Amino acid sequence: MEPADMTNHGDDALSSRTGAPDGDDRLSEDRSLVQQRLAVRELIDTEVSYLHVLQLCASDIRSRLQQLPQGDLDVLFSNIDDIIKVNRRLLHDLQETASREEEQVQLIGNAFLEFQEELEQVYKVYCASYEQALLLVETYRKEPELQREIQGIIEAVLPQAGPSGLSFLLVIPLQRITKYPLLLQKILENTLPDTSAYAVLQRATSALQDVVTNINEYKRRKEVASKYTKVEPLSLRERLARINTHTLSKKTTRLSQLLKQEAGLVPRTEDKEFDDLEERFHWVSLCVTELKSNMAAYLDNLEAFLRFWPQDCNLEIPGGPVVQYCYLARDLQLQAFPEFKQQLEAQVWQPLCSLAKTLAGPQNLIKKRLDKLLDFERVEEKLLEVGSVTYEEEAARHTYQALNSLLVAELPQFNQLAMRWLGQILCTFVTLQRDLAKQVLQRAEDSLAQLPHHHLSEPAFRKLVEDALGQTSHQLHSFQENFEKVLPPPTTQPLLPGAERQVQALLSKYGPGKLYQVTSNVSGAGTLDLTLPRGHIVALLQNKDTKGNSSRWLVDTGGGGHVPLRGQKQP
Amino acid sequence: MSWIPFKIGQPKKQIVPKTVERDFEREYGKLQQLEEQTRRLQKDMKKSTDADLAMSKSAVKISLDLLSNPLCEQDQDFLNMVTALDTAMKRMDAFNQEKVNQIQKTVIEPLKKFGSVFPSLNMAVKRREQALQDYRRLQAKVEKYEEKEKTGPVLAKLHQAREELRPVRDDFEAKNKQLLDEMPRFYNSRLDYFQPSFESLIRAQVVYYSEMHKIFGDLTQQLDQPGCPDEQRERENEARLSELRALSIVADD
Repeated sequence: MEPADMTNHGDDALSSRTGAPDGDDRLSEDRSLVQQRLAVRELIDTEVSYLHVLQLCASDIRSRLQQLPQGDLDVLFSNIDDIIKVNRRLLHDLQETASREEEQVQLIGNAFLEFQEELEQVYKVYCASYEQALLLVETYRKEPELQREIQGIIEAVLPQAGPSGLSFLLVIPLQRITKYPLLLQKILENTLPDTSAYAVLQRATSALQDVVTNINEYKRRKEVASKYTKVEPLSLRERLARINTHTLSKKTTRLSQLLKQEAGLVPRTEDKEFDDLEERFHWVSLCVTELKSNMAAYLDNLEAFLRFWPQDCNLEIPGGPVVQYCYLARDLQLQAFPEFKQQLEAQVWQPLCSLAKTLAGPQNLIKKRLDKLLDFERVEEKLLEVGSVTYEEEAARHTYQALNSLLVAELPQFNQLAMRWLGQILCTFVTLQRDLAKQVLQRAEDSLAQLPHHHLSEPAFRKLVEDALGQTSHQLHSFQENFEKVLPPPTTQPLLPGAERQVQALLSKYGPGKLYQVTSNVSGAGTLDLTLPRGHIVALLQNKDTKGNSSRWLVDTGGGGHVPLRGQKQP
Repeated sequence: MSWIPFKIGQPKKQIVPKTVERDFEREYGKLQQLEEQTRRLQKDMKKSTDADLAMSKSAVKISLDLLSNPLCEQDQDFLNMVTALDTAMKRMDAFNQEKVNQIQKTVIEPLKKFGSVFPSLNMAVKRREQALQDYRRLQAKVEKYEEKEKTGPVLAKLHQAREELRPVRDDFEAKNKQLLDEMPRFYNSRLDYFQPSFESLIRAQVVYYSEMHKIFGDLTQQLDQPGCPDEQRERENEARLSELRALSIVADD
């Protein structure tokens, strides 16, 4: 980042000392004091005008840029409101110091030390989205009409923005945060070294320097991370295009490195700390993905359960428990259960999906780290053998180290946050179950109150039902029997005289149970088949023929023979 | 009974009065409906309880898989939570099984028994139909001879035909009467038959959901999660997501 082109007030080169030491000392002391005062003045005055510009941007300019979508405005102006809040308070504190001339410098140092943390937090965010904001500005520049409008708005509010209006404005916070160390340094240079004020101011200066460094580091990390976390859906063509000789050679050297590692030819860079972290991350991932798929199965089953509506049957029963049940079931199916399902989907399923998605980034980075590690080891080897490495090879080492430190720094946090969220999701699941139970119970108890036997205890009721069902079971059985008895009643056929004697003979020989009357004329088909007129009495010998065919019976007519079944009925 | 065009073999006289026929059809029709409905009810009830069991099993799987994750060995709090969850799920599954057993015994079995009467009924109706056909045929035969010139042989045949007709007619009348008596009785029996089953069904729900409410109520207290309104939960979830997204290692999508 480059500091803005701000005019430097004061401190042109000090002219060399002249004259007597004492008088000169006092002179240079006075001169220092004057410079110090000027530097303090500069700090505060520039802070005032900085804040003023910020406020104009955040309110006047932003509100007039109506033609840009809200999403764009959010990227362009990022967290400028937060910056304004912090700087306003900083300015207030700085202005307060003016009344305490003696200690002003020390108080200024204190103020910056106090605000160090906040400044870092708030400018870090702004800085991280700055690149994207610049990209947006570029796209606007390509549309002349839009560009003119934007420029017009800016010029109306801040004419000093000049021709590069929007980008000029957006870079101002970055310039300011890097300016603080320089401004403080200027005051420090003109402060007497052995004073307490000096010590404090010195700490403040280096603190603000740290802030700038941290912001840079944060930005760099984010760039590295975004380069590797992107899980891009590449088309086949894109994938082919990516395989050039460079990546191919990378891949083959990685493989050979891995093989060397496995073979023990190259010491594997053991990093127990990382391995433990990775292992834990692996289990966290497993936990999340398993839970997600189990939850999906649960939801599927719930959906299936809601598809069946036994209560839709119509037994034409006008009242009583049947109707009660139908009301209850319909109510549950239309309200309680769908609500439960909705809440499950919104408060358990969706968050689980989001959580599962976040796994992709770290997974990718871990993989990349391993790739880079293999590259790194090869580079180390080469360094040992050859004594030097190419720039590209050095870059691999840096990337590995960046990835490694990034993961070591953030994986513990990830694991912790992910597990915390998982726990909350599970708790929500449990709470929703309880709420469903409450809903159903309320309605079911209402129905229960209207049932005839609601006063009975459950065991007593169960006994009652068992008895009732036993009785009705008997009743059903008798219905069934009745229907099966819808048989032809004995048709009394007039018997020929001779036949009567025959029947008597058969009766005495076989008993009445075995006597059958032919109900319709039977004509025999085969040689052993009988031809019998209707009304003839025969005695059943066997209800199947010699071949086991039960549609033909062996009967005794006084003679013997087979008769087909149809036409045989018992008198 | 479909309209059969008049042809040889069909009597001219309407042997069964229209009102009787209508009554029969109405009663049988109601029973056919009832058969359809009870069969459907039985099927749906079975499918519903199967789905219910499946749901319960998948709930148990949730906690089972969590319990088998190695994180349980590292993290005591996690282990406690997951163990409590697992206990609750297993107990709920047991209660669910009990509920389903009760439904099986007091609703599905009785439905099956009720339904098993229908085949006998349908057979009986078929036999009546058969008897009706026989009756019609013999009636037509008698009428045929009655229309012929009254010669000796004709008279003899007429007498025989009448003799054949009599038992068949009696048979049909008997069947018809029996069915006309029994069918409404059977139909009405459904009122007393089903009420206990459905009462039992409602009670089974009360028993189960009481347990469910207690078990999950205790569990929420144990997990120390206060109930919060939906919007708050939504915000919580968004906050958790933002926390994760704030990390550089998490991809922005």
